[in-house]
Amino acid sequence: MIGLWHYLAVAAALFGIGLVGFLTRRNLITMFLCAEMMLQGVAINLVAFSRYHGNLHGQVFTLFVVAVAACEAGLALALFLMLYRRGKSLDASDWQGLREVGVSQTLDTEPLAPAPAEEALPTLTPAGARPARTEEEPARV
Amino acid sequence: MPTLPLSAAGQIALAAGLAAAAVYLLLPKPRMRSVAGGIAAAVAALAVFSLWLVQAFGRPSHDAVGTALFALFSTGALGFGTVLVAQRNPARGAIAFSFVILSTCGLFLLLAAPFLMAATVIIYAGAIIVTFLFVLMLSHAGGGPSGENDRTREPLLGSLAGFAFVGLVLFTLYHAAAPAAAADADDPSAPVVGKAALPAPVVTPDERAKLLEAAGRFEALAERAKALDPADNQAAREAARAWLTDYEREVIPPSLLSSVTEPGGTPSPKAASVPPGGSLPRRMTAYRHDGQADAAKARASELYRDAKKRFNAAEDAIGLRPPGTPLDTALFAREAHDTRGDIRLLAGMADLPARNVGNLGLLLYADHLLAVELAGTLLLVATIGAVAIAGKKGAHS
Amino acid sequence: MSDPVGLALTVLALLLAATVVTACFNTSLLRKIAHWPLIVACGSAAVVALVLLLKVHDAAGDAAVRFVSEPVTWFQAGKLAVNFTLTVDPLSCVMLAMITFVATWIAIFSGSYMHGDRGFARYFAVMGLFVFSMCGLVLANNFFLLIAFWEGVGVCSYLLVGFYYDKPSAAAAARKAFLVTRLGDTGLILGLFFLWRLTGYATTDLTTSFDLIARAVRDNPAKVEELTAACLLLFCGAVGKSAQFPLYVWLPDAMEGPTPVSALIHAATMVTAGVYLVARCAPLYAMAPEAQAVVAWAGGITAILAAFFALAQNDLKRVLAYSTVSQLGYMFMALGTMGSVSPTFAVTAAMFHLFTHAFFKALLFLAAGSVMHAMGGVIDMRRFGGLRHVMPRTHLTFLCGAAALAGLPLLSGFWSKDMILEALTEASEHPGPHSGTFYTLLLVGLATAAMTAFYTFRAYFLTFWGARRIPEEAGHHAHESPAAMTVPLVVLAFGALFIGAAVEPLSGHALSHFLGRTPSLELASAAPGVHAAEAAHGFDWALAGISSALAIGGVLLAWWLYGGGGPEAVPDALAPVWVASRNKLYVDEIYHGAFVKPAETLAFISRQFDGFLDALARLISYVPRAVGLGLRPIQNGLVQFYALSMALGLAVLLSFVVFRISR
Repeated sequence: MIGLWHYLAVAAALFGIGLVGFLTRRNLITMFLCAEMMLQGVAINLVAFSRYHGNLHGQVFTLFVVAVAACEAGLALALFLMLYRRGKSLDASDWQGLREVGVSQTLDTEPLAPAPAEEALPTLTPAGARPARTEEEPARV
Repeated sequence: MPTLPLSAAGQIALAAGLAAAAVYLLLPKPRMRSVAGGIAAAVAALAVFSLWLVQAFGRPSHDAVGTALFALFSTGALGFGTVLVAQRNPARGAIAFSFVILSTCGLFLLLAAPFLMAATVIIYAGAIIVTFLFVLMLSHAGGGPSGENDRTREPLLGSLAGFAFVGLVLFTLYHAAAPAAAADADDPSAPVVGKAALPAPVVTPDERAKLLEAAGRFEALAERAKALDPADNQAAREAARAWLTDYEREVIPPSLLSSVTEPGGTPSPKAASVPPGGSLPRRMTAYRHDGQADAAKARASELYRDAKKRFNAAEDAIGLRPPGTPLDTALFAREAHDTRGDIRLLAGMADLPARNVGNLGLLLYADHLLAVELAGTLLLVATIGAVAIAGKKGAHS
Repeated sequence: MSDPVGLALTVLALLLAATVVTACFNTSLLRKIAHWPLIVACGSAAVVALVLLLKVHDAAGDAAVRFVSEPVTWFQAGKLAVNFTLTVDPLSCVMLAMITFVATWIAIFSGSYMHGDRGFARYFAVMGLFVFSMCGLVLANNFFLLIAFWEGVGVCSYLLVGFYYDKPSAAAAARKAFLVTRLGDTGLILGLFFLWRLTGYATTDLTTSFDLIARAVRDNPAKVEELTAACLLLFCGAVGKSAQFPLYVWLPDAMEGPTPVSALIHAATMVTAGVYLVARCAPLYAMAPEAQAVVAWAGGITAILAAFFALAQNDLKRVLAYSTVSQLGYMFMALGTMGSVSPTFAVTAAMFHLFTHAFFKALLFLAAGSVMHAMGGVIDMRRFGGLRHVMPRTHLTFLCGAAALAGLPLLSGFWSKDMILEALTEASEHPGPHSGTFYTLLLVGLATAAMTAFYTFRAYFLTFWGARRIPEEAGHHAHESPAAMTVPLVVLAFGALFIGAAVEPLSGHALSHFLGRTPSLELASAAPGVHAAEAAHGFDWALAGISSALAIGGVLLAWWLYGGGGPEAVPDALAPVWVASRNKLYVDEIYHGAFVKPAETLAFISRQFDGFLDALARLISYVPRAVGLGLRPIQNGLVQFYALSMALGLAVLLSFVVFRISR
């Protein structure tokens, strides 16, 4: 039988993966998705407890978590757009202006592997001249 | 089932370490990225984790379908979560996230929360993911000049910290579960709470079947009453008598009625001392007094009282009415129909608790009304805020 | 508004309104006409005060008269309830009329004198506040109210003396004036609480508390000592404000302010406050003969000392300043006789002299200001001379003022000084423990009279006679001052010449009679052990003759020595005296050595100690700074780094909890 603990363990693992993603990934959107994943872990927790206690309070709470997550998503996306408009970048590390005076900027030193050349998009071969209409051919309407 | 020659803590540590290594290898970075090694480590970590899970919290014996579904959904959630973390392309990450959501929704379903499943799918898959993709398109998700998709911040420390955290949580879970299991072993008659098994429904399948059968009878009665000719005095009287005979029979299973708590909320001592013949003694209903169970009990007793009242009224009607006057067959039909609906509703409580969306609504608008209002206000404010933020023309753009 | 209290309030309201309005005139557009509000307000206030004087005079008749305004509670703290209440009696309304009248002419003079100054509006705003405070002080019928206005006067004097605040010497003089008078004010406040105690903590209203104290002392003669202490403490305040020995040092320095301010301070407002305070508290002093002796001695010492200092000063305004100090000493001598002579007589003598002195001292200062104006700001008598043809009107008016100050017969100063000397004579004839004192003081008074005549005319001759010398600062246009300046001079000159004769001998001692109707003076006369019999004011021909002879002698001596104008030549035999006088007997230096130097040393030591403590504190402050230096790099602005630290911290905390609890 699958019991409460199984769900709790899976929820913790999901939360942990989200945490790692949030800590390491630098794309703001990916970070945000990882945070949402952490919320999902919490939601599984709550629903499992709801089932465990045989009442619906956990589910109601999850509903609120979802509502808050929706608010968060809306605000975060608006902020991302603004940040992108300013800095043309979604890198969280680009915004380190609030550091202590006298602390040098953290810069990436390791060179990136050269980006693989993008495959050329298929192009149509130029067509020939448009064939002239013959008189015999009736005009199609 | 294979076992590992390690203590529980060792297994947790091993799983966490493997997972950390996997994520470290998988994370996009200029050097030391090995997808194959990472996948291997991830699979190993998952295997150790499942082994530990089975070992620590009991092996899935019966309910093979449920176990398989649980395994499928949880593996899906964790696997796609890893993909989201490791995926370079944020758009693909978003797709992986939608799969995480779907897997989570499967788990919700297993946990008897179908409404939440639907809500989550609609809100996340339908709204949030789409908006994310929209933003990604707006911001030309090809990676900025700093290569934020190809670099990670502190990959080793981050994965270690995250999985150390998970390991600690799992260890705590293990320790919290151990005393309960021990108590369970000591006293076989103890309620299954200690085992943390998820409880049975409020209304047992047995009772549910009985209720449905009664409902069917009433339905038939209503149909017959409708078909009656009101002028046909004799036939109407026959029908009425038949209805009353039905009432004579058992409409509400006595096991449901006997577990009704006293008004006042506290579970009555009587409830615990139900005769051992029934299915009740081990039933959660007898020991719980949550809103759901209370609602079922209250409804059962109310239905019982109503039925009795109707029974008496009908008896009076037949006995007092002079033989020549026509009977109100339409009334009969309506009453029978109503009774049938009530019984079916009661039977519906036998379904998974949260499939009862009506109950969820009841809870939301009765117990958590303030929270609902607050959440609504929060959403409104967030909407306004998002519009205000995004609508501002960037001074430097 | 026609009742006396309403009129008094009108005076105050007019002046306050002028102050507020003028303060709003400090814009480039309105600054040029900023003097008009004050001139109008002062003028109307003077008219109202005159009407008030006549009203009170009519109401007085032969009985004592006093109007007290309805008390309004100003503030209350425990047993102490302070009322806002005014009193109008002959004493206060004479003062009121004199102040507003003189202030009006000074305001008119200032409008011309200060023309074009940067702080034109500021000057008139503060001056309005100054006159307002002084009028309030005169009218106040509550000790706390009196102190409030007293301090208002002090603040305004600070602002006006330091009017040219960018000049270090002016700022220093303002500070000195403020601090020195503050010394006295401390005594005043202590004395006030003493008096409150003497009333049995009943009231701080002047009129009521006088009655209560008089009754208390009559019932329990042992309280006289307490009363003496209170009177001496009050006198401290008077000493500070009225520049008596030993706190007179601020007044000569106060010359740093604009000259009309000096006229205001010396004639009408500030320095008369002390005299007025003692006159107002006559019922208390009359009961404390020991305090009276101190008052008289302080007055006598101040009178002769200041006269001596004035002998050899080179600065015209300084001569006048010391003469003010000296004349104030005269007034205190007169007040000191109270008790040995009838209090009414003593106070009348002092107030009469204050009254006439206000006219001729204002005149002298304004004339000096006129000279200074023409000389381009130079006031050193060694650098100019022979101005009588350059500035004929100023010369004549100055001569009037100087003659009045010297006490030449039949002029204002003569009558008032004669009255003081008469009081001293009478007091010395009165059998009592202090008759010897008063006899000595009579001689001091006579000597001072002679010296006054001498130094006044020395200044006059040095300035206006002899060869014509004009400092280069004046340029080539040394000229008589405009009419706006000379008209006040002429008006005040008439006052200086005739007001004394007009109010006393010619009108049948109208002033004495009127002041005698002051209730508090009647109360003072009723005090035990007071020589209350009012002497018939027979004119003492012998005394008048002696003082006239001395005055004329002084004038003649001055003419003999300086009739030919400067530069002055001092006989060798007298040179040490001259040097001592010019250096003011080194009193300033003694003060400097005795008080300022030790204080400076103490301040220096304190500062060193403070620096040591500072260093210690700074040393401690380096510890967190060093810690911060070590911790600063973790504030690197990377959000994810912070999140990582959070997660690590959480993990550590959780592991601690888990392994600690699971054990």
